[in-house]
Amino acid sequence: MALLEQLGRLDSARELRDFQTEPAQMRAAAPGKVGELRLGFSLRDDRSVLHDLYRVAPLLVQQALYWDEAMPELPICSIISIGGGILQGDRYRIDITVAEGACAHVTSQSANRIHQMDANYASQHQTVTLESGAYLEYLPDFTIAYRDSRFINHSDIVIAEDATLLYGEMMLAGRKHHHADERFGLDLLSVAVAVRRPDGRKLFAEKILIEKGDPTIDYPAVMRGYDAFANIMCLTPPAVAARIRDRYETNFPPEAPRAISGVCRLPNDAGLMLRAVGEETYDVRNEVRRFWRIVREEARGRTLPEEFLWR
Amino acid sequence: MADRASGRGGSPGMAHLARLLQFSDSTLPIGSFAFSNGLESAVQTGVVSDPESLLAYVDLILRQTARMDGIALLHAHRAALARDHEAILLADRELFCRRVGEEQQLMLTRVGKKFAELVIKIMPSPALERWLADIRANATPGCLPVGQAIALAHMDVDEAEAFVMHQYAIASMIMSAALRLMRIDHLDTQRILFTAQGRVEGDYRAVRDRSLDEMASFAPVFDVLVAHHTTTHVRLFMN
Repeated sequence: MALLEQLGRLDSARELRDFQTEPAQMRAAAPGKVGELRLGFSLRDDRSVLHDLYRVAPLLVQQALYWDEAMPELPICSIISIGGGILQGDRYRIDITVAEGACAHVTSQSANRIHQMDANYASQHQTVTLESGAYLEYLPDFTIAYRDSRFINHSDIVIAEDATLLYGEMMLAGRKHHHADERFGLDLLSVAVAVRRPDGRKLFAEKILIEKGDPTIDYPAVMRGYDAFANIMCLTPPAVAARIRDRYETNFPPEAPRAISGVCRLPNDAGLMLRAVGEETYDVRNEVRRFWRIVREEARGRTLPEEFLWR
Repeated sequence: MADRASGRGGSPGMAHLARLLQFSDSTLPIGSFAFSNGLESAVQTGVVSDPESLLAYVDLILRQTARMDGIALLHAHRAALARDHEAILLADRELFCRRVGEEQQLMLTRVGKKFAELVIKIMPSPALERWLADIRANATPGCLPVGQAIALAHMDVDEAEAFVMHQYAIASMIMSAALRLMRIDHLDTQRILFTAQGRVEGDYRAVRDRSLDEMASFAPVFDVLVAHHTTTHVRLFMN
């Protein structure tokens, strides 16, 4: 019921009003197009484990593995989309809970491709809950919005005062090396997030809305010269946020930068936000990794392992 | 009745118009001269370098402001007309919780509070006094567009006029910062201001039916500029 209610709220969004036709293939939200994933992490005998796993294809997680050499206690789950990307009419729902004192890392197997659409849209609703002292890194790989794609994503986060969450989206404006019309050729990208305390107090909200024909896309203060961007938030207590902020150096070189980035404070002592913009995905990923390393060191006293050669 | 075409005979709206001009004047002492709305970093990094790029910058800020602050202003104005104090506070909270960057937050709330203090000195307004008391008690953040909405609703200014005044104040703030930050003369800034104001009706129509949850933006390089400014050592402006 809760699933239908949350997805239903997205269905009524104003920006989707022009995308209500049914696909010629399988109908929207048909069985097989509604992916569901529930992950619950908690402490068992002082070790963080994935104690709860429920999944409905096309979303899939197999098990938690412990392969981070710099943080061997960290259970890592990779979200696999067996559909090969997000298709028109898909409806996804992801629910992650990290219980008191536990830690976890959730990522995705590869770039999240939102395919070209000629009918309907795809939607995703996420809930992320962190209890007292919990630590979660939820860093999916890049989302690539193909030309004519329509995607709406809403995330509801509930976080205890002393927990730390690193969460964010990295986006690429289409298959830039495939076709000239791919760059911001998307019909709709609507990504919203709301952060609350367990008592319901709202700390932070943001909505990014890109619609086809936005005349400002190529303005210098928007995306001129760049194709990839990331908004990565670190929700953490003010003392930790202050240490992270002191260490993160703004990157805005004067001559033809490949990537620029900086960290800002969120309202209501919610934490920090990393803003990064770059030419290629790896330029932006470098900025995100630099932030991620500092966050992990300051929040958990652990560092990042060397990046795999094949990433 | 006034003869609109010739303007002869006067109209009961003349004092009303005069006061609209007073509240729109860039010399209104609420401290907005201390803010550049990101322009200082935009000039330092080369994002803005000449009149053409300044026009694009102002155009973007007006579009973005309409889709964020403008929506909160319209909701607060309607709440003020309905004498619904809770709805005013909701618009205030919802706008503030979407403002990233300590300097952007400072601009929004410091100028908001100054505006309320000024208006109360020159005109009695119980709704504005109650809002200012809530700001002082830390019960509400005190965002400028909300204060403007309360004051202007009290003066029988309709919501479209209030929206125009808010947008104009943002544009003129950036123009006055531009004169101090870059090689540009008063004639160019006036030409840019004149051009940029052409979009106001379209912006109003685009946002007037939107809910507070629909406040949205997209300007990644601007967002980095906001972060950039907090870490620059040489600066004239507070944001």
